[in-house]
Amino acid sequence: MLSRVADALYWLGRYVERSENLTRILLVTDDISTEAQGLDESLAQAAWKDLLAIFPAAQLTRDTPPYAPLALPYLLAFFADPRNHYSVSYCLRRARENARAVREALTLEVFVSLNETHHALEKWERKPPGDVPGLRDALTDTHRGVFSIVGAIAHTLPRDEGWKFLRLGEAIERLYRSACVLRVKLPALLGPAPVGDVPLHHAQWRTLLRSLASLEHFRRTYGARLEPDAVVPFLVLEAESPRSLRHGADTVERYVAALAGPQDSVTRLVGRLASELRYADAGTVGADGVTGFLDSVVDQTAKIHDAIDARFFVT
Amino acid sequence: MPETQGFDEAFDAAGTPRRHYHALISLLESFTQDEVERRERLQRVSLVDQGVTFTVYGEKDGLERIFPFDFVPRIIPADEWARIEAGLVQRVTTLNLFIADVYGEQKCLKDGVIPPELVLSRAEYKRQLLGVVPPRQVFTHVVGTDLIRDDAGVYRVLEDNCRCPSGVSYVLENRSLLHRVFPELFRHSPVRPVKDYPLLLRETLVRAAPRAGDNPTVVVLSPGLFNSAFFEHSFLAREMGAVLVEGRDLIVEDNHVFMRTTRGRQRVDVIYRRIDDDFLDPLTFRRDSLLGVPGLINAYREGNVGIANAPGAGVADDKAVYAFMPALVRYYLGEDALLPQVDTYVGFRRDDFAYMREHLSELVVKTTGDSGGYGMLMGPFASKRELDAYGAQMRRNPAGYVAQPLVQLSAHPTYIDGSFRARRIDLRPFVLYGDRARVLPGGLTRVALREGSYVVNSSQGGGSKDTWVLAPRGA
Repeated sequence: MLSRVADALYWLGRYVERSENLTRILLVTDDISTEAQGLDESLAQAAWKDLLAIFPAAQLTRDTPPYAPLALPYLLAFFADPRNHYSVSYCLRRARENARAVREALTLEVFVSLNETHHALEKWERKPPGDVPGLRDALTDTHRGVFSIVGAIAHTLPRDEGWKFLRLGEAIERLYRSACVLRVKLPALLGPAPVGDVPLHHAQWRTLLRSLASLEHFRRTYGARLEPDAVVPFLVLEAESPRSLRHGADTVERYVAALAGPQDSVTRLVGRLASELRYADAGTVGADGVTGFLDSVVDQTAKIHDAIDARFFVT
Repeated sequence: MPETQGFDEAFDAAGTPRRHYHALISLLESFTQDEVERRERLQRVSLVDQGVTFTVYGEKDGLERIFPFDFVPRIIPADEWARIEAGLVQRVTTLNLFIADVYGEQKCLKDGVIPPELVLSRAEYKRQLLGVVPPRQVFTHVVGTDLIRDDAGVYRVLEDNCRCPSGVSYVLENRSLLHRVFPELFRHSPVRPVKDYPLLLRETLVRAAPRAGDNPTVVVLSPGLFNSAFFEHSFLAREMGAVLVEGRDLIVEDNHVFMRTTRGRQRVDVIYRRIDDDFLDPLTFRRDSLLGVPGLINAYREGNVGIANAPGAGVADDKAVYAFMPALVRYYLGEDALLPQVDTYVGFRRDDFAYMREHLSELVVKTTGDSGGYGMLMGPFASKRELDAYGAQMRRNPAGYVAQPLVQLSAHPTYIDGSFRARRIDLRPFVLYGDRARVLPGGLTRVALREGSYVVNSSQGGGSKDTWVLAPRGA
């Protein structure tokens, strides 16, 4: 297939995944911030500031009134601010632009679901709700819209080369962003003593699991207890969790294997990361070494992206 | 300002519906106002969600608009269509012979059918292509000829589009849309299908391949996402199962054309180009073009790639050449032209130019090179000052202008703000030329949505209608 088309499909996958991650993390962060703000305002502040580290080039471009709730500037900036390159609306617009440029490689169902979600969001962009409940409502609608896009992709696209590039983009984005979330959130959680009181500490762990859409799955596996020794290996190494780093690397490896030859440098880079995660010892991940380990995962994933770009898109 | 209604497509002078509009009009009258409004809303939402849009130039880049669709279909009875069809086949056959001639032996120039200066001096005449013969000697694979109906209801050719005529995607989309929102309308009318167009287009393009083989690689070459007709480029690629490419996707090596794919380079056999000649190849035509493919024209000249329509074909839809079409039909086919056209004064002729200057306020004056309504003077609607300024401009280059009397467009019932009103329309049928000319039974009916307006262009407040060509009775 055309390199340009493969490139656009890869980025379509990345942007749809990114807008899903963003929407979910915004809703989850708003929950913890509402819960914590009266008890420990700095914790609520930190939860929002973390967003700027998870989405590194993100910007807050809008001023809000001084007595507005803590969440408001962040929700506005990350939901419907077209100037912020990590807002949901920016990501969906880019997803749609990529889709429009390669419309012939997609199906009507995929294109219509993208258009509907994008147009609904454009309305919000023109007149964003001024309060948090209104923004949550709009976010929830958008989240549903993103799932309709994902559903249309899964149900209607042929499993051809284009499909593999789209899913590869999705997998890279998910792996990269999950590693970022863990890297930003874990140091504070793994610190010496529980920050604040214990229920609030648990709320933070639950927030971490929900940020990676893994709370329900974790509970089914481990019950309600929230031990760091169980949560961290679960989020990093669990083979069956679709958001674990290991699962992410396995997925990337599968699509790369279907697209590139065994001798390609991208194949080797992915293989190295995937086996590292596949054969890692739960002990090394749970303890002090986790920050360095996560840095390495983020770094390797970025290199894999560069290798994909050089191998397939710049020809 | 002259204000007559022109020929009415649906009603006779007494105000009773014409026979072929009977069924439609009584059916539309049976709908309640609410019902019609509900259907209209459905139709609009459907266009937006499916992204059936065009891009407007001169505003913020990438501004997408829907091309407004009016659900009242335009109906053409079988016998009327048969005459149009025969006329178009004759005309396109002639256009193709003319292009082959001016890039070949130039007999029509030597025999004095058309002044050589008129043809050879045009920017659309590409002297670099003299002597290049495309596969099967076909230059005009896709032609869109604009027709209007005068006061007497006679179909007349307004202009031919021999480069890359657009609009056919709306012909197909309008039909789908009307099927969905007003299925009742089709119950009692034998409407000829149009959905085979992509298939016929593909067949036409396959025949343009220079090397033998069952399955040549056909691509649609588009300027990209920000071109006003991008939706159509993408639509046709999709419907034909062809690859949609931009200039940067193609590369020429050893006079062969390849596309850059994830698995290396792949040979391209036929390019359905939706880019003007001047932008096709920066090595041959415009040096500053970023849209084209360096070396493409050499590959074409060497016979290694088919290009549809052939580069240089634009010489045939020149507005001055238009004036000579009846003579060219007679010259090449020995027949009288079946479709009349609009009387045209050519600035190149001294007498014509004198007439043009004297009667400027009665004429529609056009520059020969431009299309799409650019550089035009509507004499009857212009102020004294505009007329003087335009006249001065004309004197500097008489040969660059042609003029025609103002021709009324026919009127057709159109749904405007809750009621049916008469609005002016034209018709662009599409003709494909693979081994012979074939006409799609239908075409793009464009409608001027503003009251009294003659301008049907999508960029200037025009809309479109579904065009019904009825099957002959008992067929």
